[in-house]
Amino acid sequence: MAERTLTEKLKHYRISQNEYERISGLLGRPPQGLEWALFSALWSEHCSYKSSKVHLRKFSYRNGMTRDDSDENAGVVDIGFGEKIVFKMESHNHPSFIEPYQGAATGVGGILRDIFTMGARPIALADYLCFGDENAPRMKSLVKGVVAGISGYGNCVGVPTITGYTEYDENYNKNILVNAMAVGLIEGQMNLASSKAEGIGNLVVYVGAKTGKDGVHGAAMASESFDQDIDSKKPNIQIGDPFLEKLLIESCLEVLSKNLVVCMQDMGAAGLTSSTFEMASKGKVGMDLHLDKVPQRDSSITPEEILLSESQERMVLVCVPKNLEAIQAVFKKWDLDAAPVGTITDTKKMRLFWKGDVVTEIDPTLITDSAPRYERPFTEYQSKRKRAKVEAVSNQNQKQLLDSLKQNAFYKNKNWIYEQYDQRVGTRTVKDASQTLSVVRLNSHRDLAISVGCRPSFMRMDTRIGAIDAIMYPALQQAIKGFKPIAVTDCLNFANPERVEVMTDFVTTCDLYAQIAQKLDAPIISGNVSFYNETEGKGISPTPAVGLVGLKENDERVPDCVFTETGLDVYLVQMPGVISYAKTAEVLKKEMSFSGDLTVNYLADFVGAMTAFVAKTKPQVSRVVGQGGLALTLDKMKSAGYECSMQVDANHMFSSTSFLFEERLYDFVFAVDSKTRGPFEKELDALVKKWNLISHVLGSSRKGYS
Amino acid sequence: MKWGIKILPREVLLDTQGRAVQDYLNQTAQTVNQCRIGKYIVLDLKQTDSAESKKKAIEITEQTLINPLIETYTIESL
Amino acid sequence: MKVGVVTFPGTNCDQDVVKMSQAHGYKVVPLWHKDHFDVKSVDMVIVPGGFSYGDYLRCGALAARSAVMTSVKELAKTGKPVLGICNGFQILCETGMLPGVLVRNDHGRFTDKWTEIETVNSTQHFAKSDKKKLKLPVAHGEGRFFAEKSELDKIESQGQVWFRYTENINGSLNNIAGVMNKEKNVAALMPHPERAMFDWMGGSDGFKFI
Repeated sequence: MAERTLTEKLKHYRISQNEYERISGLLGRPPQGLEWALFSALWSEHCSYKSSKVHLRKFSYRNGMTRDDSDENAGVVDIGFGEKIVFKMESHNHPSFIEPYQGAATGVGGILRDIFTMGARPIALADYLCFGDENAPRMKSLVKGVVAGISGYGNCVGVPTITGYTEYDENYNKNILVNAMAVGLIEGQMNLASSKAEGIGNLVVYVGAKTGKDGVHGAAMASESFDQDIDSKKPNIQIGDPFLEKLLIESCLEVLSKNLVVCMQDMGAAGLTSSTFEMASKGKVGMDLHLDKVPQRDSSITPEEILLSESQERMVLVCVPKNLEAIQAVFKKWDLDAAPVGTITDTKKMRLFWKGDVVTEIDPTLITDSAPRYERPFTEYQSKRKRAKVEAVSNQNQKQLLDSLKQNAFYKNKNWIYEQYDQRVGTRTVKDASQTLSVVRLNSHRDLAISVGCRPSFMRMDTRIGAIDAIMYPALQQAIKGFKPIAVTDCLNFANPERVEVMTDFVTTCDLYAQIAQKLDAPIISGNVSFYNETEGKGISPTPAVGLVGLKENDERVPDCVFTETGLDVYLVQMPGVISYAKTAEVLKKEMSFSGDLTVNYLADFVGAMTAFVAKTKPQVSRVVGQGGLALTLDKMKSAGYECSMQVDANHMFSSTSFLFEERLYDFVFAVDSKTRGPFEKELDALVKKWNLISHVLGSSRKGYS
Repeated sequence: MKWGIKILPREVLLDTQGRAVQDYLNQTAQTVNQCRIGKYIVLDLKQTDSAESKKKAIEITEQTLINPLIETYTIESL
Repeated sequence: MKVGVVTFPGTNCDQDVVKMSQAHGYKVVPLWHKDHFDVKSVDMVIVPGGFSYGDYLRCGALAARSAVMTSVKELAKTGKPVLGICNGFQILCETGMLPGVLVRNDHGRFTDKWTEIETVNSTQHFAKSDKKKLKLPVAHGEGRFFAEKSELDKIESQGQVWFRYTENINGSLNNIAGVMNKEKNVAALMPHPERAMFDWMGGSDGFKFI
């Protein structure tokens, strides 16, 4: 076979001319042999964060419960009483569009490995999904496949999927988003595991599934826009095996709990390359790695494919030689391979061997730390829309408007999705995905709330408002149930960062998230960036998804989110903020409009006040008014068979029926019984005065007719 | 006309079912080199012309029954 | 009381069943799938939910042929109680200790929801609550109870139907949610009593199950 030309090589390895020159400069010569593959994988956007890193540094705020662990696989929050929470969110957008079932399944598998590689037992999963218009080509099968993939994988590994968000909008017709979040718990004698290789002479051990040709070049692919021919990306599909993942969880946690391991790292994007190079680089050590000793599924596999394979359910760990036998015994018990494939050396070089010969020798930091950092151009954010007085969006009557909104996939009941997820395995679930806030109980008799945020229609309306809402809305959903938000993870899905308007939205979002994290005292402890969500030049609208974890320091009752009894007094509390038609307008195919603004400082302080207010007053029912406005929210609150009978004067609050559909940031609904009413009203008065709110008595709950 | 369509996971990709069963079988008797698990689908088509019917069966298979990214198939007349 | 809890590599409800047993002050004896055990060492066995060996071939098919299940069969012959939950139900059917089989839900999807079940025939060993109707959650993809007509008639006439769903959620024949052997010491159901122990879980009808 003829030697490929330089141009062909650059194209094949997805390396730009400038990057090629930078590599040649670092090496003092052009790259050769396996080096091409190494740089291709680890300098990809997906692995190197080369377009985002300069902005992600802004997420540096930490508090007493968190520490700087940006080096690690996921962030950690020490919540006291011997309990630590580990969580992270990650995207699997490109693979899910190509093969929805396997793409979503392996997305769940990957995020779980990020959690248990740190020594944490995964206790909950959440998903954040954006689909296109339900009638767009392939969309129904994409939706079905993604949901089945999450269900098939999560249910089998025995981690409950307890919450999620599902968007439908034409912006995602050709680029769906599949983001998964996993939450893990470290308790008892278990220690946090590191991913830093240490100890000259220690062994590098490969554990889990055998290596096949799956997903070779996957990391580079995930950093590229789609072209028309998705078939050409055929060999990239990775197949997930949840049963094997379950074995891997148990065996890894067992060797960690027995203190047999120096450090551990999962093999995610760019597989063995990224895991071993990063371990060596973080530990400032060298490593000899014998690629031929890697357990192989396919005898025709080449060294390059072994390095880049994204076969699932694999981990690499480092141990002192005398522990190898004990480690192998644990993995044998779970019927898994544990093969020594290398040693830690003092050379500070990665030496890759194939059948006894050195095939590549390179300083790992050149590949992990010297990737280019791009300061992609952006401008100061200017709102795409002018603020204006919000006019009625429709002259239909309330009932007709409600019915037409409820025809839309977005507003339809999504229980068909959540019912496919095992929501209770592990017997920690207090509130499942049918609720506005999902809650799990800890052994310390405290409750942990898990939410996902980012409502893309608000991002499309105004990036600033959308980004503030992305964290503040879930924070308020937690506060209104008595929880304090304690930490944040994110999954920043954007289009091509080489376009100024995309980068401007990205930077605006990062700046706001950094500010909110600090004001809310909820550090951003982990995250993921997914760029190039773009097909044939059309990008997605900015979708910086957020995962938020909150804590309630007791196991007292969490207020309901629907009316569950008759005779409750129902209150509407309104904050001066934004009045808009965002999702409502989109669904009705009308122009979006909005007035007003959100203030980070005010909202951050208010979240704290709301947590305290709910803890003190203990309302029976509480809910933040969502998309589709009060009309949709009250309609959803009827689901237990009770509804709010509106008092006559409530209609006077709105000058037109369509105003019931206004999306206001933020309105709140409470319902209290006669015993709670007195103290509730007293505290509410104080809250209203202090925060400049408006409160109304809406009516009372009664048995519904439907 | 009736067609039998045999579907197997693509050789290069991981066959999770086959591997799990193979590993289990080899726990007791180390005699299984490989175990692969697929599907067998029987289609009874309205078309009576053999060539036309086969064309239709292939079309249905490639567009609906399999995902060519992860599966291969063979077709036989019954 | 010593409760043996069976764990296959893909079992994922074993710790939940351990918690349930401990809530009653019972001593738990872990039973590993690769090992035979002494039937005198435990007073009761629970086969919990999960995915045994991945459940790729048929749910519970490979698990039914494991070492631990050989001992469970022996134990059942001595008259000691055996409870199967969800995947445990599937495994007990595959071993032949219980009649019938569990196949894919008629709607083809995994289903997780709260259900109401009604006691048809009771056993002295399990589900000791006085309530005739119980609210328990299910979580399964293959929970549709199936048996040939003649066998189904026998199950009915011999009083082996333990529970029926009040609303059929998966296409189970005769709404069957749980069955017993003739001797009534081996019993199993698809719903998860261990997930309904306390009110905060959404219901406590599973508390008196063992």
